Amino acid sequence: MRGLTRDLVATAAFAVLLVFLPSVLREVFGRASVSYLSLATNALVLAVLALSWDMLARTGQLSLAHAAFTGAGAYTVAVLFKLTGAPLWLGIPLGGLVAAVLALGLGSVTLRLFGIYFAIATLAFTEVLKAAVQRLPTAVAGGAAGINVPALFRPTFVAGSMERWEVAFLRNQGYFWVYAGLLVVAVVISVLIQRSRLRAAFTAVRTNEQVAGVMGVNPARMKLLAFVLSSFVAGLLGAVEAHRLGSVSPDGAFSVHTTVLALVTPIFGGLYTTLGPILGATVLAGIEETLKRTFSEGYLIGYGIVLVASILFMPRGLVGLASKLVKRGGASTSGRVGGASGGAADAAAEERA
Amino acid sequence: MSSVLRATGLSKSFGGLVAVKDVSFEAAPGEIFAIIGPNGAGKTTLLNLISGLLTPTTGRLELLGTDVTAMPTYRRCRLGLGRAFQVVQPFPEMTVAENVLVGAQFGSEGVSSSEARRRADQALERTGLDRLRDQPVEDLNLLQEKRLEIARALATQPKVLLLDEVMAGLRPGEARQAVELVRGVRDEGITVVFIEHVMPVVRDLADRVLVMDHGAELARGTYAEVTSDPRVVEAYLGVEDDDSRAGEESADARSVREAPGDDAGATAGRDA
Ligand SMILES: Nc1ncnc2c1ncn2[C@@H]1O[C@H](COP(=O)(O)OP(=O)(O)OP(=O)(O)O)[C@@H](O)[C@H]1O
Ligand SMILES: [Mg+2]
Repeated sequence: MRGLTRDLVATAAFAVLLVFLPSVLREVFGRASVSYLSLATNALVLAVLALSWDMLARTGQLSLAHAAFTGAGAYTVAVLFKLTGAPLWLGIPLGGLVAAVLALGLGSVTLRLFGIYFAIATLAFTEVLKAAVQRLPTAVAGGAAGINVPALFRPTFVAGSMERWEVAFLRNQGYFWVYAGLLVVAVVISVLIQRSRLRAAFTAVRTNEQVAGVMGVNPARMKLLAFVLSSFVAGLLGAVEAHRLGSVSPDGAFSVHTTVLALVTPIFGGLYTTLGPILGATVLAGIEETLKRTFSEGYLIGYGIVLVASILFMPRGLVGLASKLVKRGGASTSGRVGGASGGAADAAAEERA
Repeated sequence: MSSVLRATGLSKSFGGLVAVKDVSFEAAPGEIFAIIGPNGAGKTTLLNLISGLLTPTTGRLELLGTDVTAMPTYRRCRLGLGRAFQVVQPFPEMTVAENVLVGAQFGSEGVSSSEARRRADQALERTGLDRLRDQPVEDLNLLQEKRLEIARALATQPKVLLLDEVMAGLRPGEARQAVELVRGVRDEGITVVFIEHVMPVVRDLADRVLVMDHGAELARGTYAEVTSDPRVVEAYLGVEDDDSRAGEESADARSVREAPGDDAGATAGRDA
């Protein structure tokens, strides 16, 4: 329990940091803070997506359905406000719930599928959901053209008392805080998993489902739990995205791009950890922005090269690399000789990170 | 309750191959029940049917008076069935203690985390693994891995313990330790059902022996009874025309014949 308390305190400190980050950027960068803030926002979005995917992967379920769950969250919000005059902040939790319910359905069907078969089934689910949304009556789901979604923040320009860029800043700041809230929710869920007996159960199910069962772990229950938690977070994220973008369309909401980012980011940062997906998201968002500015067109090629290289040269992601460096540093200062006991102890230490 | 484990007419076919054929047996509380037989006789398949990794083609299985024929593995475990595997399969990313803790945490309903830790510590201690508790499982040798299999099963607090060739590949001294461990487990009232090729171990431990051949029961009785049964000797010798296994099998057959009164026979181990 002491570990849990420590993690929650760290999370709270992180949350406070996020609350003040926009003001700090504004003080330091002035007008330029608008783009720094949107970069930070991109990193947050990516971190939530990656952490959500990682939770599911901890049970061995390598999903290609993350776009389905963010898309479900987005469409829940869009349809809700198209059809009803519901309160503005109701759509987000509802988006999470709808995604969680869908995950329960998909998860029960895919329980007996492993590896590539599971991945293909989840990819197919995304396509089916997208096709279903396209075929719904236009009056409900907007068809191929999509639906407009009300914004969460509409700062107004007050001539004389503020500058033009400050409107954009205030708007971005609002969304930044909402995403920061989502990340805190995701981190708390992740930490609760890692600091309870669920961590061992998830790992057991991932590494040997049959033996896990023989030792009393209910694999179906663990896989469904992970699916529901992961998709709830993804649904919340999709819902907020719908508000921020101002509209949803089948192609945008169910984009393969989302699915790819969801799995690439935790692999880059370090799988099966809380820190890995967040680190991965921060670094990747930074790299993407830099490449975009340097190369504009074709920056994706550079992005691809970075990813392939990182997977080749840091198989355990940024977190793995960091713990290796820390270990090497520790060994040289304390004179400790690195024994053969490397692998699993490392992995265990990282997993608690 | 007269039997803690009762199999009635259990059969399992894989396509055309009948791996287990109409096997029935009962194990009484506190009994040590051995299952022996040549390679491929269907012993491991029978344990898979008992622990729920396979569903029987026909037949019925009762555990502690409950029909568990269609019960999933994890519920059988929580009811009181522990299992150590022939091919050791520790969870690779965990330490020794973490492996055992899984069994302690999930092997029974409603265990507090402190109680689970206590049970895991106890299982580690009994199997002599307490000093290796923080080792990653990659660092264990075969003996230690076999002990870990038993420790994980014990941590689930079983009433019936299934052991699949836990002595295979052990040196005589190590095998003797393992025999003592199994005796200790039985003395607590846990029923032990074990598969073993090392005949002196069977002789020393088993209250009763079930001999399987080609999936079916060949003989059943005390160690002395089954080893003097001509059909059993025949089964162990008769596979010599089976070219691929002839060498191994005749070694087994020798140990069947020589075992009574042969204390040095504990060396007759096989690799898993
Ligand atoms: N999953 C499976 N699919 C197909 N055939 C199987 C399967 N499992 C076991 N068999 C076959 O069933 C027969 C019995 O195998 P089993 O592993 O139960 O033998 P065993 O008595 O445990 O042998 P050993 O002493 O070598 O461990 C063998 O012919 C084996 O090839
Ligand atoms: Mg076997």
